[in-house]
Amino acid sequence: MNPFLLILEDALVAAIPAVGFAMIFNVPAGALKYCALAGALGHSLRLGLHKFGGLPLEWSTLLAAAVVSMVGIQWAQTWRAHPKVFTVAAVIPMIPGVYAFTALLAVVEIDRTGYTPELFAKMMENGLRAFFIVTALAVGLALPGLLFYRRRPVV
Amino acid sequence: MAEPRQISEEEQRQITRVCAQATLLLLQHGAESALAETVCRRLGLALGLEEVEVVLVANGITLTTISRGHCCTTVRRNSDRGLNMQVVTEVQRALLRLEAGEFDLAGVSARLAQIQPFRYNRWWVALMVGLSCAAFARLGQLGQGEALEWGTLGWAFAGSSLAMVVRQTLAHHGFNPLVNFALAAFVASSVAAQGVLHGWVGNPRLAMAASVLLLVPGYPLINAVSDMVKGYLNMGLSRAGTALLLLLASCGGIVLAMTVWNTWTWL
Repeated sequence: MNPFLLILEDALVAAIPAVGFAMIFNVPAGALKYCALAGALGHSLRLGLHKFGGLPLEWSTLLAAAVVSMVGIQWAQTWRAHPKVFTVAAVIPMIPGVYAFTALLAVVEIDRTGYTPELFAKMMENGLRAFFIVTALAVGLALPGLLFYRRRPVV
Repeated sequence: MAEPRQISEEEQRQITRVCAQATLLLLQHGAESALAETVCRRLGLALGLEEVEVVLVANGITLTTISRGHCCTTVRRNSDRGLNMQVVTEVQRALLRLEAGEFDLAGVSARLAQIQPFRYNRWWVALMVGLSCAAFARLGQLGQGEALEWGTLGWAFAGSSLAMVVRQTLAHHGFNPLVNFALAAFVASSVAAQGVLHGWVGNPRLAMAASVLLLVPGYPLINAVSDMVKGYLNMGLSRAGTALLLLLASCGGIVLAMTVWNTWTWL
C-alpha cells in the first residue's frame, strides 16, 4: 500500500477509538474533537516512525506520546483544563491491549497444558512489550512536564 | 496568591473542608495524584492559608492546613466513583476562577457542591465502543498489512458493543468491578467465538482480541506509571495492582468463553 495512504487511513481509523474511549472517560463534549485529532496524530505518527522511520515500537510510542502531550498542553491552556483530560483518551489507540491479554493467556495456557519453552517465550515477549509500551506512553505524556514545566503548573 | 489576612479558626476549618472536597472529587474520578495534590495546595494558598500538606493513600487522604501557626487536620475516605473527566475539568476551572479573583471561599465551595457527574447516553457509548473495537481490528489489519475484511470488524463490533451494555448494566447494579469485567469479557468472547465457529471471520485471533479491548484498563495503567514517575510510588503501585487484577479478571472471562465454545484460536 502507498505509505501516504496507509498513514492517512491509520490516522482516520485511530480517531474512532480515541473518541469512543473519551466517552467512557466522560470527557466533556467540547473536548471530544481534541481527543479525535490528537488520537489520529499520535497513532499515525507512531506507525510512520515505526514502519518507515525504522524505530522500535517502544521508542516510536514514546515520541508519539510526547508529541501528543505537547499539542495537548497548547490546547489545555486555551481550553482551561488539565491536558490529561484529553491526552489520555488520545493515546488509548496505542495501548498494548492485545499484548497484555496474550501474555496473560499464555500464563493460563502454561497452567492448563503444561510448560513449553514456546509458551513461556510468548508470555515473556508479550508481557514485556506491553509493560514497556505502557511505560513509554505514560513517560511520553509526562515528558513536557518533566523537561519544560518543572516548577510551574501547566494550567 | 491572596494577600496575607487574618483567618479565623472557623474559616480555616471551612477552607480545609473545601480542599478535602476538591481533592476527593479529583481522586474519585480518576485524576492522577500529582494533579490532586497540586490543586489541593493551590486552593488552600489562594484562600489565604500559609501551608497545605496532603498525604494520599489508595483509599483515603490525610490533609493538614496551617494558618497563624495553628494546624487543622482531617482524614477522608476515598472510593472510586468511575472515570469522569468532566468533574476533573470543573474542579480545575473552579480553582482557576478562584485564583483569578472571581470566586471567594463561599463561591468556590458552592461551585464544588454543584458539580454533578455528567454521563454520556449509555446506548451512544455502547455504539461508539463497538465502533472503537472494530477500528482496533482494522488497525490490527493495517499493522499486519492485511486487506480490509469486514467479517472480523463486524464480529469485533458485535462482541464489544454487547459487552459494553453488560458492563454498564452490571456497574449500575453495583457489582464488583472484577466480577463485572470477567462477565463482560465472557460475553464479548462468546459473541466473537460464534463468528469464528461458523467461519464468518477471516482472522479469528484478531476478532477475538479486538472484541475484548474495551476491557483494558488504559487510564489506570497510564495513571499508575505517571504516579510512580512523579514520586507517588504507593499510589502508583496500588493503581497498577488494580489494573492488573482487572486484566486478570477479563482474562478469566476469555478463558471461560474459550472453554465453553472450544475455540482456542487466540494463542
